[in-house]
Amino acid sequence: MRKIFLVILLLGFIGYAGINLAESVTPYVSIAEAQSNGGGVQVKGLLDKNSPTQQTCDEFSFTLQDEATGETMRVKYEGIKPDRFDEAYHIVAVGNYHSDDNSFHAKKLLIKCPSKYEGQQPQS
Amino acid sequence: MTGNLFLGGGLTFALALTVICFAHKNPPARMIQGTAITSAGFIVASSLLLWKLIFENNFGIEYVASYSSSTLPTMYKVSAFWAGQQGSFLLWLLIHAIVGAILSVRRTATKTLGIYFLIQSVLAVLVLIKSPFEPNPVEVVEGVGLNPLLQDFWMAVHPPIIFIGYALLAVPFALSMGNLLTEVQSRLWLEDARKWTLLAWSFLGAGIFVGGYWAYKVLGWGGYWGWDPVENSSLVPWLLSAVLLHLINLSRKKFSVIGITHVAAIFTYSLVIYGTFLTRSGILGDFSVHSFAGSTIGFAIASANALVLIGGLLILFFKAKDLPQGKMYEKFSESSFAILLGCLLIIFIAVIVWLGMSMPLLTQLVGQPAAVDENFYIKSTAPITAVLVALIVYTFIKFGRIISLGGKIAHIGFLGMLAAIVISAQGETITREFQPDTTVNVAGHEIIYKGQEFGEDERQKFYVYTVDGEKVTALTKLRGNGTDAAREPAIRKNFSGDVYIAPHAPDIETTQELLMTKNLFAMDGEYGYIFEDANIEYDAANKPVKATATITITDGEVKEKIQPTITVTADGGFSKAIEVLDGKRRVRLTGISSDLQKARLEILPTLKEISAMTITTTVSTKPLIWLLWLSVSVICLGTLIAIRK
Repeated sequence: MRKIFLVILLLGFIGYAGINLAESVTPYVSIAEAQSNGGGVQVKGLLDKNSPTQQTCDEFSFTLQDEATGETMRVKYEGIKPDRFDEAYHIVAVGNYHSDDNSFHAKKLLIKCPSKYEGQQPQS
Repeated sequence: MTGNLFLGGGLTFALALTVICFAHKNPPARMIQGTAITSAGFIVASSLLLWKLIFENNFGIEYVASYSSSTLPTMYKVSAFWAGQQGSFLLWLLIHAIVGAILSVRRTATKTLGIYFLIQSVLAVLVLIKSPFEPNPVEVVEGVGLNPLLQDFWMAVHPPIIFIGYALLAVPFALSMGNLLTEVQSRLWLEDARKWTLLAWSFLGAGIFVGGYWAYKVLGWGGYWGWDPVENSSLVPWLLSAVLLHLINLSRKKFSVIGITHVAAIFTYSLVIYGTFLTRSGILGDFSVHSFAGSTIGFAIASANALVLIGGLLILFFKAKDLPQGKMYEKFSESSFAILLGCLLIIFIAVIVWLGMSMPLLTQLVGQPAAVDENFYIKSTAPITAVLVALIVYTFIKFGRIISLGGKIAHIGFLGMLAAIVISAQGETITREFQPDTTVNVAGHEIIYKGQEFGEDERQKFYVYTVDGEKVTALTKLRGNGTDAAREPAIRKNFSGDVYIAPHAPDIETTQELLMTKNLFAMDGEYGYIFEDANIEYDAANKPVKATATITITDGEVKEKIQPTITVTADGGFSKAIEVLDGKRRVRLTGISSDLQKARLEILPTLKEISAMTITTTVSTKPLIWLLWLSVSVICLGTLIAIRK
């Protein structure tokens, strides 16, 4: 009885955690993969400074550039421009690509600034 | 370097003590104490040396140049010690060594000390691999200074509190291992383990709560809890040490629980080191909003982790046959069952958090890296937490008399904390543009934006608001060049909760640059400028220290002569903006050519113009948020009370 109870509990938990995990996990992909995938992904890149950033009342958009290949993709984020966006050295957009308006709809933006925790190295 | 020599001394004596404790059957107490205290002495000396270097502004040391500066206030010079990775490892080692010296004086079992000082040796090696005493490869006259975001009382005290917790958790681990290696059947170690684990738990908890409070009162950190790897990596040991606490208590009454108590001790300490590995190795660089500098130390920490986990489990495996066998509970209606079930639920929560935070690492091993979002944690842990709450209430009602006073207080604090987490999330959030002196109604509050104010030295700026007539300000700390360095919200506190006002940095696009040639007239559109003279001061090493320009500005009638300066700092330069012609213009010197023939001036919006700007602001209400701060304090208080039973 005791063992059966534990086994049921453990199996239940493994199943529960597994299902939740499978639903929530979003792979890290390149811009090209994000465009062909269409599902929920995370894309890391740099801000393309040659394209405009635009803020309307409930949407912020900018162009993300792949660090390696230089490919670009327009990103639309539901919300206002995140703090420290201008200082970002990397931007991670979480969301999915919509082919109808040829843009990546981000649910979340991670802004990575070099000075956030560790100090910057002194310049020579 | 003297610092590294001290560390080497600390390492040598810690290793010597490890050998003494394992090689000798019964080494003399004075030898043990002497060796432990000498090791701690060396480590204390190296720490004092680091503080001395920081206070002497010795920028020949890379660490000092990276985290301190000559202008840093005293309090933050103290905390600059642990502002970076190297220093925080030294802090950990320092606290570990002091606790080790205390353990040696308290006549702890020999094998326990052997294990404890083996860990001390490993920590000393980690500090030596990435030492804070490395000389600076480049010559600088001034340090970068402490990140303005970290220049905060709560952030200054947060790391030492956390590291006291981490260091103290080595004690129950060492006690467990020491017991397994000697008298497996003895219960004597449990009383010691109980006290040390309670102490560790309250410090680790206090450290997490202080970090959460700090994250709440600055912007850009995602509120008091963001399920970030750095936060999760301290949450998992906190959860597991809660399990360890309950199992230690239970095995004092039911000795058959001792086996899983050892397992809990091993896993708790392993996860302390695992969390350090995950956050400090740079492996999560892509996944955390906390940008930790990547480092070569990852492999060393991973080895230390393997040593604790695999070593611990191997010892347990070989001694398992000597452990008492038997049922852990007789029937479901027993208090033992309720406690064990509670422990299992907490482990489930810990496993979920562990899975979430390790996902980037785990997926990287099998292929494409992937991560989970915050919803995963909330969605997965909420139902389990709900069952846990029901179980705690049930246990209180049915077995209340067996729970100690401290235990009761801590559990009430825990329930209060969960209630506050849920209630405070029920507030409203609105983002909109605030025009100066216009009333905006948010969730029944009248909020008026009153404009911006600048601090004396222009290193601080305040967004001023009134909430129901009460003035509140949001501080933004500025860099030498005027850009935002760290931002805080304006918070109006009262009994019903907080009104949390987060202004968003305005886009200042109207900045204009004016390039001037000596003695030639230049115009910015409205006003005329003559760059008359310039001067650059050099230090003994012929490096520029300060540049001054003499410029006359005129609106056609009035002439005003100004002498703006640029002071060279490690992170560039500091140049104060100057208001001229009765506040009609605001300018800042941004460059002088080395031949003194050209100067560059930045034309900025005037303070009046800045104050009249519309500011996009996010206002949210946090109902009863004070209950969260109160509850977490109650948890720590109850835990401390429980120590003396």
